[in-house]
Amino acid sequence: MARRMMPKRRLEKVGLGITGACVCVVALVVAALIVMVAQQGLTTFTSDGVDPVSFLTGQNWIPSEGRFGAAPLIVGSFSVTLLSTLIALPIALGSAIFVVEVRPAFGRKVFQPLVELLVGIPSVVYGLIGLTVVNAAMRAIFGDAAGTGAGILSGAIVLAVMILPTVTTLVIDALAAVPDSYRDGSYALGCTRWQTIWHVVLRSAAPSIMTAVILGMTRAFGETLAVQMVIGGVERSMPNGLLDPAATLTTALTSGLSNATTGSVEYHALWSLGLLLMGMSLLFILIIHLIGRRGTKSHG
Amino acid sequence: MLTFDSLSRRQFLGLLGSAAAVAGLGLAGCGSTSEEAPAADSGAASLTGSIVCSGATSFQPLVEAAANKFMDANPDVSISITGGGSGQGLSDIKDGTAQIGRSDVFAETKLEAADVEKLVDNQVAIVGMGPIVNSGVDVDDLTVDQLKGIFTGAITDWGEVGGTAGTIQVINRKAGSGTRATFEDAVLAGETVPDSFRPVAEEDSSGTVVAKVSQTQGAISYLAFSYYDESKFKALSVDGVAPTAANVESGDFKIWSYEHMYTSVDADDATKAFIEYMLSDEVQGSLVEDEGFIPLTGMEVQKDAEGKVSKK
Repeated sequence: MARRMMPKRRLEKVGLGITGACVCVVALVVAALIVMVAQQGLTTFTSDGVDPVSFLTGQNWIPSEGRFGAAPLIVGSFSVTLLSTLIALPIALGSAIFVVEVRPAFGRKVFQPLVELLVGIPSVVYGLIGLTVVNAAMRAIFGDAAGTGAGILSGAIVLAVMILPTVTTLVIDALAAVPDSYRDGSYALGCTRWQTIWHVVLRSAAPSIMTAVILGMTRAFGETLAVQMVIGGVERSMPNGLLDPAATLTTALTSGLSNATTGSVEYHALWSLGLLLMGMSLLFILIIHLIGRRGTKSHG
Repeated sequence: MLTFDSLSRRQFLGLLGSAAAVAGLGLAGCGSTSEEAPAADSGAASLTGSIVCSGATSFQPLVEAAANKFMDANPDVSISITGGGSGQGLSDIKDGTAQIGRSDVFAETKLEAADVEKLVDNQVAIVGMGPIVNSGVDVDDLTVDQLKGIFTGAITDWGEVGGTAGTIQVINRKAGSGTRATFEDAVLAGETVPDSFRPVAEEDSSGTVVAKVSQTQGAISYLAFSYYDESKFKALSVDGVAPTAANVESGDFKIWSYEHMYTSVDADDATKAFIEYMLSDEVQGSLVEDEGFIPLTGMEVQKDAEGKVSKK
């Protein structure tokens, strides 16, 4: 008693309809999000009369005085992001080389799951540890110059630990994806293991490693809670050094929202920060795509 | 590496997972032994409705405690209390997404006059605030002028205000926080802080202020009386007046503000009844003081939205 099948053409149409609807929903959500953030964020410039140039270059973010210069926040965001990447990348590269090239069994069975567990730890835990351990360490090392211990350096250290698992896992995958024939060829030419790793494996995995780095940076750029707890939160003027307390775009956004009332200039200015953040992540994603394309081209 | 080879990745993860589960169950077992509070009295009034109360976190515990008692007496009323800050509370009551908006500051300071007219200002308690310093600081009293100098960056060393020389580490609350607004209104008296002045931190919450001041040498900040804890930091007198509830009530201690619960002019019965309950002797008589606030009843002075203080 075979059930009568739907005509093939109709089946195709149903499939097309369902998958197409999914695509439409996703596209709609993305578009709605962008439109909403842009609409609220641009109000600052269109109807509140804040000058976009002074918004980007102004050196003082003091909402109570109606001064909305986002430069200290932009500097804060970029400095913690770059610094944390600088700290995390060598460690991630080193451990990935160890795992892929030196001890694959240990790497696959113990190290990688352990690193993956790190991803699951909530930000607030990192923040709390940063607040008690990293800040105290800063005070112990630098004394009065570190103030409360909160600052750009503390933020970067905590962020480095947070992005370490992401970057490490992706670099491990990148190195593991390098075909063994490359290594065999290198050894056949008489190269040592180190020469093979440095000149062959890392070189050919470079585009994927760059992607890993940028994904890590994206995470660092967008991270809020943990940074907020350890960076000191001073957004009124430019930080002068790595020990200076600062604020990032995200921390200013979250802490500002609880004090701003809907419809006020401050509220719109916070949305403008959101717009700026969205623009930055779009840029990061664009870079990843460009690297990916160049990578596939060079590898044929 | 024999040991690692004999242990598959799945087994390793499983081991970790079951260890975590055992730990989690143990904790949950300890936490879930709360007892049901007996209902206060059999429902005489038949109030029904649900109230959303959002806003300032500073007196959230007080409102929560009162709401629990109120719901015991009126089982058909549900009150949900969320945080979010004074700005959030005022936004929510303005936009009509909450029935009660809690705020540390007068709505006039954050909303347009037209929006304020649609709101009723219910002042439910007084909160006193004062400067606090790290326990290592050997200063017990500062004048308002000295405080002004410290919080505008004119005075940077404890030696200048009668203490042992050492850098003054100023910890502020975030711009826009009610505590900061109250403190600056009383201390700065309208003077603006110069751009060159950078505090060593601007914190989101009073809890972090406590932690930072107790850990940082030479630190100064300010807190509501309800957070005072002599074991963690030292509270200062201002102009020779000790930070006590009695001194706030008499008008001698100048740094204080109202805790507001804004409602809409056409609030429903349940909301009105809850506000009435907040102002009743049951709450004002004991709960308010238990939570570290000052009841309205004893105040000999009052403050208006412009910050002008007058005899009651």
